[in-house]
Amino acid sequence: MKGEKIPVQNHIARFCRPMQVHDGQIQATAFMLRADEESLSVNWLEFLNCSSRKCEITKIRTIYSETFNVGARAKIAVLNVGEVCEKVLTESPDGRNLEVLHDPLVNDQSHSEIYNLKQDDELIAELILETVREAHSARI
Amino acid sequence: MLELDSHKILKDFDDPATASIVSGNQSIEDNFPNSYQDIRGWINLSPKSPIKTHRVSIIGVNLDGYDIHKDDWPEKEDPFTQVDLLNNEEDQVQELIFRIRKSRSIPYHESLANRLLALFKDAKEEDPDSLGIAAGSLRNFYNFLHLHTNLKRPAISLTPDYNIYASWRGEQNRVFSVHFLPNGDVRFVIFKPNDRHPGRQIRLSGIATSDILMETVAPDSVSDWISE
Repeated sequence: MKGEKIPVQNHIARFCRPMQVHDGQIQATAFMLRADEESLSVNWLEFLNCSSRKCEITKIRTIYSETFNVGARAKIAVLNVGEVCEKVLTESPDGRNLEVLHDPLVNDQSHSEIYNLKQDDELIAELILETVREAHSARI
Repeated sequence: MLELDSHKILKDFDDPATASIVSGNQSIEDNFPNSYQDIRGWINLSPKSPIKTHRVSIIGVNLDGYDIHKDDWPEKEDPFTQVDLLNNEEDQVQELIFRIRKSRSIPYHESLANRLLALFKDAKEEDPDSLGIAAGSLRNFYNFLHLHTNLKRPAISLTPDYNIYASWRGEQNRVFSVHFLPNGDVRFVIFKPNDRHPGRQIRLSGIATSDILMETVAPDSVSDWISE
């Protein structure tokens, strides 16, 4: 449901473009906003209703491949919602309270967004990077 | 160790179209004519017509003053403003990458140039209409590198707006990351251990111009662990 708050124990996946990956390592730039963006796009993994992380990643790869051009070095970062929000709330200088809300699209029902980020949030991007639990190739 | 004269640093903070080379008592060799062809071949882009043929042979700058040797210098007297002639941002990026490749004062100049080309190629493959790399940001990074030739090689990525973002990571979760903005500014982040409270971390961020960045972060002892 659009606007539904994703439970803190659930997980999200962030598409990391090849230019945001160095020697296979995801960089903080993967968690930065474009000048014209107000929120960070992610996918809600539990919404996919899979029995395993492997199945979730396979579905996410398919969504990506149907939506945009996926470079060979692109990655999927998996994060825990509660961990990201807690880390940023307790460790950012302004005690930023991120919100992770479901924002389904016609062709991407698990699409969600992280709100309350700003364009000059390098420090918060570095904090989010520290909460990445898994990294997978984004290509099928 | 290079000796630098900050008065000779090219002042491009107000004019992103101005080319910039900073050097100390070493010479820099630049050789443009074949570089465009080479780089275009590497990234597999269609050649543009006409290919630019600016030629700079040897530029030496030392503390005693400019000592410029040239054997083919068209039109402009000031070598550092040749990039002014380039209207196309993509051309500027490729020229800057080529300059980095030829900058012997940067210990990892070859691998750095390769990395920048790979980023440029990745960005173009994903979106052919994109900037690839923002020329102003790359120029800012280039100036910074020439001021600080003793730094370890950083991890380099591009922000969503195609700016250069350099990160150094060290022991005890130390982080020093720098976002090079096209106007000569940098936004930086420092994570470092809190020595008085083991297990706790100090987190700082700020904005400065790239020429005074290392002075600005000197109290945080960043140079101690990001320098060779």
